[in-house]
Amino acid sequence: MYSIITVDVERCTGCRTCEIVCSLKNYGECNPSRARITVVREERDGLISTIPVVCQQCVEPLCMELCPAEALSRDPETNAVVVNEDKCIGCRTCVQVCPYGAPFVDPRTGVSQKCNLCDGDPTCVKWCPNDALHFVPADEEGLRRRRDGVRKYLELLKTQSE
Amino acid sequence: MTNLYGGKILWIDLGSGEISTRSTLDYARDYIGGRGINARIMYDTIGPETDPLGPENVIAFGTGPLSGTAYPGCSRTDVMSKSPVTGLLGNANVGGDWAAELKYAGWDHVVLTGRSEHPVYLHIRNDHVELRDARELWGKTTYETRVLLQDELDDPEAKILSIGPAGENQVSFATIHSSVGNAAARTGMGAVLGSKNVKALAVRGTRGVSVADPEAFLEACKAAHDQVKGADYYEEVHTIGVTNAEYAYVLSGIEAGGDGHEGLDFDPDGKTDYNAFWNKHGYKRTGCMGCPVHCMENYNVPGIGATVISCELYTQLTWEVQNDDMRLWYKLIRQCQEMGIDNTSMALTIQWLMELHGQGIITADDTDGIAMEWGSKEAIEAIMDRTIANEGFGAVLAKGLKATAEYFDERIPEERRNGRSTYWYAMQVNNNPMYGINPRLTSMSLSYAIGRRSDCIQDLDMHQFDTVTAPIYPGWSQEDRDAAVEHEKELAFELTGKENAADPDTTEGKADIVHDMGIHTGVSDMAGSCKWHTKWLFLYLMPEHYANALTAGLGRTVTPEEIEQASLRIRNVERAIEVKMGRRRENDTIPEKEFSKPVSRGLMKGKYGVSREQLEQMKDEYYTLRGWDLRTGVPLHQTLVECGLQDIADDLAELGLGLEPFELEGADASRTASEKEPVPAGRRPEPRP
Repeated sequence: MYSIITVDVERCTGCRTCEIVCSLKNYGECNPSRARITVVREERDGLISTIPVVCQQCVEPLCMELCPAEALSRDPETNAVVVNEDKCIGCRTCVQVCPYGAPFVDPRTGVSQKCNLCDGDPTCVKWCPNDALHFVPADEEGLRRRRDGVRKYLELLKTQSE
Repeated sequence: MTNLYGGKILWIDLGSGEISTRSTLDYARDYIGGRGINARIMYDTIGPETDPLGPENVIAFGTGPLSGTAYPGCSRTDVMSKSPVTGLLGNANVGGDWAAELKYAGWDHVVLTGRSEHPVYLHIRNDHVELRDARELWGKTTYETRVLLQDELDDPEAKILSIGPAGENQVSFATIHSSVGNAAARTGMGAVLGSKNVKALAVRGTRGVSVADPEAFLEACKAAHDQVKGADYYEEVHTIGVTNAEYAYVLSGIEAGGDGHEGLDFDPDGKTDYNAFWNKHGYKRTGCMGCPVHCMENYNVPGIGATVISCELYTQLTWEVQNDDMRLWYKLIRQCQEMGIDNTSMALTIQWLMELHGQGIITADDTDGIAMEWGSKEAIEAIMDRTIANEGFGAVLAKGLKATAEYFDERIPEERRNGRSTYWYAMQVNNNPMYGINPRLTSMSLSYAIGRRSDCIQDLDMHQFDTVTAPIYPGWSQEDRDAAVEHEKELAFELTGKENAADPDTTEGKADIVHDMGIHTGVSDMAGSCKWHTKWLFLYLMPEHYANALTAGLGRTVTPEEIEQASLRIRNVERAIEVKMGRRRENDTIPEKEFSKPVSRGLMKGKYGVSREQLEQMKDEYYTLRGWDLRTGVPLHQTLVECGLQDIADDLAELGLGLEPFELEGADASRTASEKEPVPAGRRPEPRP
């Protein structure tokens, strides 16, 4: 069974360590604007919301399906949807169709990039200092974790709107 | 761009609008970054004649080589300028996310000089640098400014440093804010920015920070993270912050213990239990960019709103002013952050007014009709509002303790003041309101006295501190408490080789410990990371950890000794700035009234106390370790030369400060500096009044 990265929104403190180590691992530099995981951090009126966004490696990925250059494919080893930078034409179709906004245009190369699960051993998961990221098999357990994550997120939204 | 550095210092003259660039690398080898490079810039640009709120003052924002990287706590901005509070070197350090973003934009430091004609903000996006109109933002709170600027720039990822209305009003102890809960709070850096008509610095960067050996760098950073996460204190600070620690401080009586508190039985019902407040109102834990500790608490209190709190903020507007209404306290903290004013200075100023009122020295007539009774909620609120607005009596307080004391002394007959200036009653060092922790512990008094920005929190003896608070620590078993005390005793002995180094009743080894802590905090301040990760908060990142990360990141060998040397060097640069501004041995002290007094309340009531002789003795030892003249507190010529600061040594010699090498010739080597012939008075600038 292949594995996916799940997010425990409630545990995320917004430190963005995941972003820094992702860019270090994949590009050898500290640069969140090239990171394949992003902590969306909002500060409104003293309240901090932090939600990590990372590719969910969809079963039916819109990005892969709609890419006109056929630059996206599934890695048979890890099941990750990966970008072939040589094929990518930088049209941003994947960026627009992804419901999570997971793919992005790399400011350095001008072509798309997204999480490739670090060849099956995601760096961000290993580094998260508050245990907010997990790499788990996408079977029943993974689905349950996702559901827990969504429930916590909904509770958070509820607290904020109170 | 070079490894770990943006490589550039952005230098802006606000008067002419001229924007120029200098190379960081001219400074990096000797001063590393952050506080180190800032100190050198300050030495070269400001002096005794600089008016802190005049256009000639210079304010520098500095990151370090590790800022923005995977090193723990890597997003600190060091802010330095001449302080409107002390008239000496001002310095504050702010966390959040700004430092990392500045690095990602390819800059290491931002230096502002001159004064803009109208309110502006600085916008940096990578190489694009622009001063933009901020007239519409003037008057907005720090919370509002962040969002308004992100909207105006159409860039929700822009990171903001801004002042609030207090900074605009040039209240002398105004602050500069990064993300919520983070402030460059001490010594009035917000007032300096306000005097320059600068509302904010907005930055966005996509360049990143390059490293020489990514794999080795990740490994070095991982080792540092593991050290922090494996430290004994980590679990507690990670889950409840310092809520329990702060409560232990106030219960013990080593915090919040002015004369006015003597005999007062405050909060017997435990209404101010900070940990209980966290459990009740905590929304989530939060912290700065790249930090595994998450030392801060994000609260959301119904009917008041959300804010972030950590550290001393818990004790000051509660115990210092005898306020047990936690809702009021919370509201005030939020107000301080929105308005951009230093919570510590405000609380300790109010405490002083209450002290004076309690002793019958001032009356409501002297304070705009506000009766400064201990714990009066109305008084606290009214004083804060007026100070922030710089209106009425608040306009007097906004100038600081000394100016307020002068105002009182003119109005109040001497006999009502018991023949003393009202200033005598203030808890301050060089006019900087002290933290709540009282100076009645030996090493604490030394920390306050030699504090490089006239406060103690920088170079602190945590061994003694823990020895005092561990025996009453909330939630610990007796066994844990005893073990903690034993552990601190061992560590203090290991460091100093002195048997009673952790004993709060002696002066033994205190100078060694405070001096050592100064080296460690200097290392983290230069690296652009957080001093809480050093031994300062028992998390024990050592110079080795920094050296390993710098070595892998820079691609050249950096030794722990080298960065410790740099830490010693920058402290001497700072001291040289201060002595040029008039600071001498006699200014390194604590309030006179604090001498030879035991802890006045709490579980430690009647214990400890420091005599003037004890403090002077510790200062002798400390100056000796630093290589400073025992008579004047000025760095010796030889010390500066050995630190590689020949030009500063020559400058001071020209001013008749420090000791010329020829003065040492023929002198008995065993003679202490204090016995040497004084430099002719005519060649020395007048000490500050």
